Amino acid sequence: MSGVSLNSVIKKYGDVQVVHGVDMQIEDGEFCVFVGPSGCGKSTLLRMIAGLEETTDGVIQIGPRDVTRVDPSERGVAMVFQTYALYPHMTVEENMGFGLRMTGHPKAEIKAKVAEASRVLKLDDYLSRKPKALSGGQRQRVAIGRAIVRGPEVFLFDEPLSNLDAELRVEMRVEIARLHKEIGATMIYVTHDQVEAMTLADKIVVLRDGRVEQIGKPLDLYNDPENQFVAGFIGSPAMNFFSGTVANGAVSVPALGGQALPAPASASDGPITVGVRPQRLRLAQGDSHEVDLSEQLGGVAYHYLIAGDGTRMIVEAHDQSSPQSGSRVGISVEDGEALFFDTQSGVRLR
Amino acid sequence: MTSKRLLSAYTWLFLAFMFAPLLLMIVTSFNDTSPPSVTDWQGFTTKWYRFFWMPVEDLRADPVLRILDRDRFAQCFGNSLTVAGVVVPLSLLLGLAGAVMLTRWQSRFNSVLWWVLLSPMLAPGIVLGLSALVFWGRVGVNGGLFTIMMAQVTFIAGYPMLILMARLQRQPVELEEAALDLGASPWRTFRRITLPFLAPALFSAAVIAFLASMENYNTTMFAKGGACTFATEIGAMARNPNGHPPVINAVGTIIILLTVAFAVGHALLQRKERPA
Repeated sequence: MSGVSLNSVIKKYGDVQVVHGVDMQIEDGEFCVFVGPSGCGKSTLLRMIAGLEETTDGVIQIGPRDVTRVDPSERGVAMVFQTYALYPHMTVEENMGFGLRMTGHPKAEIKAKVAEASRVLKLDDYLSRKPKALSGGQRQRVAIGRAIVRGPEVFLFDEPLSNLDAELRVEMRVEIARLHKEIGATMIYVTHDQVEAMTLADKIVVLRDGRVEQIGKPLDLYNDPENQFVAGFIGSPAMNFFSGTVANGAVSVPALGGQALPAPASASDGPITVGVRPQRLRLAQGDSHEVDLSEQLGGVAYHYLIAGDGTRMIVEAHDQSSPQSGSRVGISVEDGEALFFDTQSGVRLR
Repeated sequence: MTSKRLLSAYTWLFLAFMFAPLLLMIVTSFNDTSPPSVTDWQGFTTKWYRFFWMPVEDLRADPVLRILDRDRFAQCFGNSLTVAGVVVPLSLLLGLAGAVMLTRWQSRFNSVLWWVLLSPMLAPGIVLGLSALVFWGRVGVNGGLFTIMMAQVTFIAGYPMLILMARLQRQPVELEEAALDLGASPWRTFRRITLPFLAPALFSAAVIAFLASMENYNTTMFAKGGACTFATEIGAMARNPNGHPPVINAVGTIIILLTVAFAVGHALLQRKERPA
């Protein structure tokens, strides 16, 4: 078991640079999630750690070893692919034992390790089946089992749940979390789904365009994002952003019906971007906003509002009120519930 | 209704156009007259087939067959098998290498390489034959079986490459990546994952390369020097100014039978493989 560290890691395809000097430190036994929109380089980064993509520059270490130029087979990692990548001509048992067979382990040991993994993953009834006789969730479990049997220092998951339906995805998510607790190995998990990131991770790495936007614990990213991108990416529904103006230590936000918020210390007079989570907005008496649509789910409701200046926003409420479309409401945000960002750079202003 | 009738009439006409010559060839291979004829029926015979194994005395007694050189024919056929015996494995090896490189090695030169590797298939066979002859002549190797092999490989290797590429494109790269990742060396991955997956395609490619080698005439003609192959020998016999002996029709009939048998066998094998 060991951690993983990346030092100024760069990836270029020809002249096109897709990963721009990434630094990070993943601790031993940590569950680290790379999250970001498609094309942000998260899968490329994972494949570079696995050794399936060449690293153009920088250093990748697994434990104390520099593995930057080491063959994938020598890195001591095991990857779980989005498409499962199970061998169709082998049974579940053979698939799971494949790694150990390749490295020449004795048969008895392979059998014992496969049995152990199959017990953990509840695959005992399927060992003699071929992959095509399994459901998507079972296939994914076999793929995970194959990685477990290999006994790697680091587990790599490349969007492992994307091919499953919503219900199974939740089930497997819980299972992967349980597995991490049970095995305690270092795991790196790539997803574009921030819910998976929030629920699974000890540490989240938010990536955009091949750069790290922020690294931190899930709640830290949620509560204390460093920039507008992270603020908008983490949290569901996404944070509302409004344009405001700073003057005399106060921020006036037309979209909030002229409500003035105390300006952050580092803000200078002029335009500013204000972010408020849908959970931090409340419907209030008034007629400053028009209700575009209301989704009432019983325990939670989402109200889609249009401000006087045309700005759209979402309000999350936890009651069963459902204002009519077209009716008018007021809105309030409590002091300290709004985040401020530089309009130009998107950097958080505190 | 008329358009439908027209279409079916056209279809039948088309099929007749394709298969009537073959049928005539088969019929004439049983007609006891030379040169082969359909109109002049002289009675049923199997001697054009028996030519290949009848006793020498019978051979000498027949006015048509006795002019033919059976031993030479057998020797040329043997040459063809020898050539195919080298051309097929060599083409498979080269085609496999090309296919793996073009599908697994990401390079911006891939599309150029693809054309370069396939261009011999599109080049006129005469050019290939001549260039092989000229090239190897410079090196001091005269036309013969070796130059035939070299000339044939240049374009026949393209067939396995295309077939194997199609198969490799259907195999997800992740299967190989997973193996690398699970601790298999690249060579083991190739042997344990890629090659088994390619096996059916390799078989198809081998059959096609074999047929292409056996039937090749134009390239072989230019590269052969003093040697002969099955195809060039039949070509020589067919050029007889007095009309070719029906033995050629008999050979043609056998080739058709073998081809059909091969195709049916292949189809059956595939059907067996699919539901498994």
